[in-house]
Amino acid sequence: MLRLLSLITAFALTSVVVPGGTASAAPSQGGTFIIGLEGEPATATGHLATDTVALMVASNIFNGLVSLDFNFNPQPDLATSWDISDDGRTYTFHLAEDAKWHDGVPVTAEDIEYTFNDIIAVAHPRAGSWWPNVESAVATDKHTFVITLKAAYAPFMTIIGNTLGSGTLMMPKHIYEGTDPKTNPANFAPIGSGPFKFVAWNRGSHIELERNPDYFKEGLPYLDRIILQFLPDAASRLLAFEQGEVDFLHMYIVPFDQVARFRKDDKFRVIERGGEGAATNEFLLMNMRSGPLANKDVRHALAWAIDREQIVEKAVFGEGKVAHSFINSGLSWVSDGSTDVYRSVDLDKANELLDNAGFPRDADGKRFDLRIALASGRDYEGRADEIIKDNLAQVGIGVTVEMSDRTSFIEKVMRQWDFDLANQLFTTGPDPAISVRPRYHSEQIKKIPFVNSMGYSNPELDNIFDTESGEIDREKRAGMWRDAQTILFEDMPALPLFEIPVVNLVSDRFKDVITTPFGYIQSREGTYFEE
Amino acid sequence: MTGTRLLLYALRRLLQAVPMIVIILIVNFFLIHSAPGDPVDVLTGSMETSEEYIAELRAEFGLDKPLVQQLGIYLWKAAHFDLGYSMRYRQDVTGLILSRLPATLLLMGTALVFSSFLGIMLGVFAARRPYSLSDNAVTFIALAGYSMPVFWLGQILLLIFAVQLQWFPVQGMFSLRVPSHGWARFADLMHHLALPAITYSVYHLTLIYRLTRVKMQETLTLDFCTTARAKGLSEASVVRRHALPNAMLPVVTVIGLNFGFMLAGSVLTETVFAWPGTGRLLYEAINARDYPVLLGLFTFLSLMVILANVLTDIIYALIDPRVTYS
Repeated sequence: MLRLLSLITAFALTSVVVPGGTASAAPSQGGTFIIGLEGEPATATGHLATDTVALMVASNIFNGLVSLDFNFNPQPDLATSWDISDDGRTYTFHLAEDAKWHDGVPVTAEDIEYTFNDIIAVAHPRAGSWWPNVESAVATDKHTFVITLKAAYAPFMTIIGNTLGSGTLMMPKHIYEGTDPKTNPANFAPIGSGPFKFVAWNRGSHIELERNPDYFKEGLPYLDRIILQFLPDAASRLLAFEQGEVDFLHMYIVPFDQVARFRKDDKFRVIERGGEGAATNEFLLMNMRSGPLANKDVRHALAWAIDREQIVEKAVFGEGKVAHSFINSGLSWVSDGSTDVYRSVDLDKANELLDNAGFPRDADGKRFDLRIALASGRDYEGRADEIIKDNLAQVGIGVTVEMSDRTSFIEKVMRQWDFDLANQLFTTGPDPAISVRPRYHSEQIKKIPFVNSMGYSNPELDNIFDTESGEIDREKRAGMWRDAQTILFEDMPALPLFEIPVVNLVSDRFKDVITTPFGYIQSREGTYFEE
Repeated sequence: MTGTRLLLYALRRLLQAVPMIVIILIVNFFLIHSAPGDPVDVLTGSMETSEEYIAELRAEFGLDKPLVQQLGIYLWKAAHFDLGYSMRYRQDVTGLILSRLPATLLLMGTALVFSSFLGIMLGVFAARRPYSLSDNAVTFIALAGYSMPVFWLGQILLLIFAVQLQWFPVQGMFSLRVPSHGWARFADLMHHLALPAITYSVYHLTLIYRLTRVKMQETLTLDFCTTARAKGLSEASVVRRHALPNAMLPVVTVIGLNFGFMLAGSVLTETVFAWPGTGRLLYEAINARDYPVLLGLFTFLSLMVILANVLTDIIYALIDPRVTYS
């Protein structure tokens, strides 16, 4: 009997393995992949895409020069190969020779030259953070494109591969030349070189893309259609996914308390990859300008008192993990958790620090009050703040939680600097030089969003930031960043609370949905349908 | 004769509305601009950017000019039927609103007709046997419906009819996976319309029901109804020919008023059911501080409310011979 059972099991196993094996060898063409988006994108092109939803559309219509693998090494996209000069200043890209725009015009190095000089440099909101490193960007022949940097700049290839952050999706010169790239009508009916062609934008409802039969990558893509549907309500969105009306929800809109349920259901898959590129941490920003938080010991006391394990457990339902670094662990080559000395809660130490800093308890046991600002929309931040409030009450700090809508929050915290503590997500990837530096460099103390609102300044750290990107050797760079992380924990302009859980939800009928560190927004050229 | 009179009256009412709209525009303009938050922050997305880029955006959308000058420019354009340019969508506001309007009108129209009709029917039914078991039952249900928040009701209907029973789809206006054409497309639309329309109807339905019930009950005790009964008319015909037309007057007013409320109140229903109408556009515009779209929508809503009022007046004149306009 037992033997029979094991035979049946063995048979069942092979019958499972065989179709899987053949399918992965040659996925078949077909299928409609429906992606649920939390809102309507403002645009469908690469150069104006400043948010997740816009890029989820654009990445399927356009190509970059290169993409990145999970180790952040460049992989071919429009460029099939590249050479980097020994001094790290000259990057020569060799382009695919048979790539065509969706209107049939061939893609040439002229297009790339135009995209860099006339679109990205002038129209992309983030170009200012890296374009000044570029000396020239020129097409040297029909399929060769050369970028020369003013000096060696280590994160350069990562920037080129980071299409969301850098706007480096390649645009057709013949469509945009002589027009204002911000208002060109093609922004609403984009023409790219990518795996899917734009079909229709039904305002308020969805964007439809169809398979590009002339795609330059042999055999790709597999899907017939991609539909990106705008689903503003979180509860209904999840129901729609559960009912099979939607096939994919990206990590930033998956409610963490529901994930466990989907793990158990084999109609769905929970993909815990594809967020490494953004490498997002939740921080508690501290306004260092005045009041108790201007005192370093007070900031340290907060770090000793706040129970981050409990926050992970109760605010994100155990899906994430404590952020033991100012750089998310998805960037494994540079993130160094050993720099975090606040490994366990120590209330005695917190109390001692506060006493010595000149903030004794009054008759009621209270030392002082602080406010925490947060924006509505991310319920885990609200839950985390309740825990923080409890934790700090134990060391005599009263906390009021002040919630406002996101736009008002940005105005208050980042433009008026009117806050004590604030909840904020920061991306720390795909390279810390572009997403960690701007938060803590003293030259970034500006009244604009997502920079150094804390008023933090340390010349030693500034110096590391200013020199590390000139270092080509990754090991040496990692060493310099280790020093930076140590300084950040010592100065504590913000407390890293937890790493945002990477949990993408996908219908099990679709395979190879996430294949890069930007999985939540990546091109679905390799995604295929399997019943 | 009365026809031309009515027409002239309607025209005059519409002309009177013009200064009203200008005042609405000015008040809205300052209200919207006094809300905290900066549209530029939404345009630059969730990533850090430079001061230069922000200044550039401000200049592009005229946000760097003094507020009064911005208002002047806006009014001048509005006078030429130009509602401006959406900052977030980089599109003409009028076109944006018009592209979203059919969905809202369909949802609202269906809900308005359904709820008014059923509300009146139930009201009449209940009024004929006041304080009977059936009246009490309907009144109880109506009270529950009246006090239920729309988004909650929507979620409950979804859980029961879309998830448990699987009778209806969860969201959207059409099935996107398998597109249909012709009559199948119409059927698909109706299938998607059912739950949002019911959700949207409930509040209005209960309101109309309660009003009709009270008015009918009142009217049925009046002398002329007693006279009608004394003439030997059946109760059904007393209700239909004598009581109903009289009881309907305030009901028509409320339906007219509700037209405006419903148009503005479509935000929640459209969000829960991902219905691509103007309500969601309004919601998105608020979050994005998209001033031109917000102003455009408010202006548009005021216009619709004024139109609905004029229309109500006209219907009033048609069903009540005592009402004349000069």
